[in-house]
Amino acid sequence: MEAPPVTAMPVTGGSIHMMEYLLQGSVLDQALESLLHRLRGLCDNMEPESFVDHEMVFLLKGQQGSPFILRARHSLDRPAVPWHLRYLGQPEVGDKSRHALVRNCVDVSASHSLHDFLLEMGFRMDHEFVAKGHIFRKGALKVVVFKLFRILLPGNTENTEPLSLSYLVELSVLAPAGQDTVSDDMRNFAEQLKPLVHLDKIDPKRLM
Amino acid sequence: MQQREEKQLEASIDALINRVAHLKNSLHSFIFKLENEYDRLTWPSVLDNFALLSGQLSTINKLMRSEKTPAFRNQVIIPLLLSPDRDEELAKLTEQRVPVFSHEIVPDHLRTKPDPEVEEQEKQLSTEAARIGPDVAQKQIQTLNKLCSNLLEKLNNPREDREAESSAMRQNKPTFNPADTNALVAAVVCGKGLSNHRPQGPGGTVLPGGGPMLSGGPNLQQVTMQRSTNQQAAMGGQGPPQQPGKMPSSIKTNIKSASMHPYQR
Repeated sequence: MEAPPVTAMPVTGGSIHMMEYLLQGSVLDQALESLLHRLRGLCDNMEPESFVDHEMVFLLKGQQGSPFILRARHSLDRPAVPWHLRYLGQPEVGDKSRHALVRNCVDVSASHSLHDFLLEMGFRMDHEFVAKGHIFRKGALKVVVFKLFRILLPGNTENTEPLSLSYLVELSVLAPAGQDTVSDDMRNFAEQLKPLVHLDKIDPKRLM
Repeated sequence: MQQREEKQLEASIDALINRVAHLKNSLHSFIFKLENEYDRLTWPSVLDNFALLSGQLSTINKLMRSEKTPAFRNQVIIPLLLSPDRDEELAKLTEQRVPVFSHEIVPDHLRTKPDPEVEEQEKQLSTEAARIGPDVAQKQIQTLNKLCSNLLEKLNNPREDREAESSAMRQNKPTFNPADTNALVAAVVCGKGLSNHRPQGPGGTVLPGGGPMLSGGPNLQQVTMQRSTNQQAAMGGQGPPQQPGKMPSSIKTNIKSASMHPYQR
């Protein structure tokens, strides 16, 4: 079950359809400090923000083959902040020369009863993880460096263990569909992080 | 003679006021920029501001050092009248920064010697310098000059062999692991390595309870051993095609029997 393509959605006013442009890479724990220093220099001058988020991925199995996936995220260190629900479409198979992974993205905020609501709707929680890291911004570019923690007992976010010895680095931009200059800006930014991190578009289908 | 000196003094003071006004303006705009646009400020523009300030300071220095300037040290300023009342003209002259010519502002504005702390530090430094003797001082100066010139040379001349040696250093310490990248992305996208909810493949043993299984244990072991030999045979291309299909069903029936009749075996 896939969201209908962008052109078929009725224009009822409100949100423009946003696409998420994404580049991903990773950095080993030892090199994290140098990466953070470099990002602090390159990105906008703000207080470095750190976050601890708990994300749950819900699946709804329809009659068709591929299930509908929704991602619900909430902050563990700022409990008053509303939950965040996100839908990510399949990556657009288009221009091979485009430098970033492009996929349809719908983001909404939700109340704290999101988990129960989704379960009542028939979604089933597929997996969950805790992400702890830092977020940087440069204009419209967002760089997130975080470590994934596996949750050992379902529902217990205290008892976690790191998934690997690396931090995942994601460079993303939310832009309306059709703006291809965005991926050029992203590639230029990614060049500046080499050789610490190689940010690349990683096709999720290749990893299945 | 006195008139000429007076004229010189006036001219040099005017020039000094001019330069200081320039400096004040650039400081003012820099502070404004730092306070209001700090989140959009880039390092090169901050450096530009500092360069401007340093240039203006050096012009002031040059002005003071020039021959046309009489020694200000010989002039003495004595406040003749101090009053706690607000002086409008003074306030206008100083852009509201000094509204009152009183006892509080005089020590700051008419100061001729440095702060007591600064004076202390300067005295310490000069006794230190006198203590080490001229030869040692000369050698230290030379080392400092050599270090600075080395550094400047390295910074100013990008050399190809420098690239080679830095890339060699980098190869010894990789900062990222592509396998980790793939593992992390797979975890974020499809939950690989994260979930305990998804049933594992046919090799997994998702058995309900331990007790009932003990009785079914030897059976299962037998079944799995047979299955593995079957698989080997199948891989060789010679195993009977029915048996791999039969094995899963026998496993299932074992489980069923064990779990439904725990006491009968």
